[in-house]
Amino acid sequence: MAHTRDVSAARPGGDDSLDRLLALVARGDEQAFAELYQRVAAPVFGLVSKVVRNPSQSEEVTQEVFVELWRTASRFDPARGSARSWIMTCAHRRAVDRVRSSESAARRDDLAGRRDQGRPYDEVVEQVEASLEREHVRRGLDALTELQREAVVLAYYGGYTHREISELLGVPSGTVKTRLRDGLIRLRDHLGVDA
Amino acid sequence: MSGDLHTLTGAYAADALSETERLAFERHLDACPACDQEVRELTETAARLGSAVALPPPAALWDRVRAEAAATRQLPPVADPTPLSGRGRRRFPPLLAAAAALLVAAAISVTALNLGLPGQGGRSEGPVDLVAAVLSAPDARRIAAKPGPTGQVAVVVSRRRGQAVFEASGLPEVPAARTYQLWVVDRSGPRPAGLVEPGGAGKVTRLLEGRVTGSEQVAMTVERRGGAARPTSEPVVVVDLRA
Repeated sequence: MAHTRDVSAARPGGDDSLDRLLALVARGDEQAFAELYQRVAAPVFGLVSKVVRNPSQSEEVTQEVFVELWRTASRFDPARGSARSWIMTCAHRRAVDRVRSSESAARRDDLAGRRDQGRPYDEVVEQVEASLEREHVRRGLDALTELQREAVVLAYYGGYTHREISELLGVPSGTVKTRLRDGLIRLRDHLGVDA
Repeated sequence: MSGDLHTLTGAYAADALSETERLAFERHLDACPACDQEVRELTETAARLGSAVALPPPAALWDRVRAEAAATRQLPPVADPTPLSGRGRRRFPPLLAAAAALLVAAAISVTALNLGLPGQGGRSEGPVDLVAAVLSAPDARRIAAKPGPTGQVAVVVSRRRGQAVFEASGLPEVPAARTYQLWVVDRSGPRPAGLVEPGGAGKVTRLLEGRVTGSEQVAMTVERRGGAARPTSEPVVVVDLRA
């Protein structure tokens, strides 16, 4: 933490205009809302689908996310971070809420199943391909240690809690917490210089 | 505990904390600018992971989104969105949402256990004899919240006396500008039931203010020092006396 960086400022294009769009949406501008949707529907739907998996539930959650963005656009504070990050945080939170509320038996079975299958992150890493952003992120993930990568992928794309990850990987949950932190810090540095 | 808290920035940014852990960590963020800054950066980083798996949604989805948005009232801007700490993304939901959250959380987060009455520990904030009278009432019931980052919490209620006692140990400290506040929640909503000032080891034993019949829920939130008239944040713990 000796230095801090503004990750969003390093990213080319886009985020300033997303900020402006959100400000218009906050005033009830439906045209701006349509444009915002066009700009971020794919990242939101992609992330939600990755976490939720079930296609019809993913659509439901995506719809919830956009209605929430519409409803709460006035609460976005550009001083607190980029519009894209605010939107993706909302999407991720909603997706995670959905899988955790359907927790119970089905999810525990899923957990047990995944543990038996072994390392589930390869599947995601293989899908992260093609486009420039995907390439940046894929290389960033490649630069992590195996345990960092597993922890980050299971938490962010899998929607698992650190306790569940600890169970999946058979490492103490304190280790999962620190790997999540140093994994994301490494990714931050990688994407920061690369973007 | 606070040494451990600093390592939670990554788990927080990746939404890998349980709900109660998240609330406890957000309290920590109020008091720790270094963690707060790191959380912002790691949240930006996590968003990049999200963007990398973009997938176009079915075309029909926009019509549903537009229709529902058209029927949804937008929140007005807040004049001062971050009154205390310059932060508050998820920490200060609007009052109505907070009241609703109390009830929702009450429905899902409470495990009732019937344990024997423990020895009375910590500081007594209610009149000692009233606390003792509730604890020793023949119809006293003790309902414990599920153990979590907010320590061990239980409520002892005597329906006959119409009174209840709040007991806790291991409550984390709150920043100096904040306090724990108790609420009794019934069908008409939450009403204030007193502030909680933990003693050594985060222990406290106090009488809940007002009449408690055993058909309510008891919730605790973190509020500005001095307390609030209505809850302004999600409860950190809820005990359902009906269980």
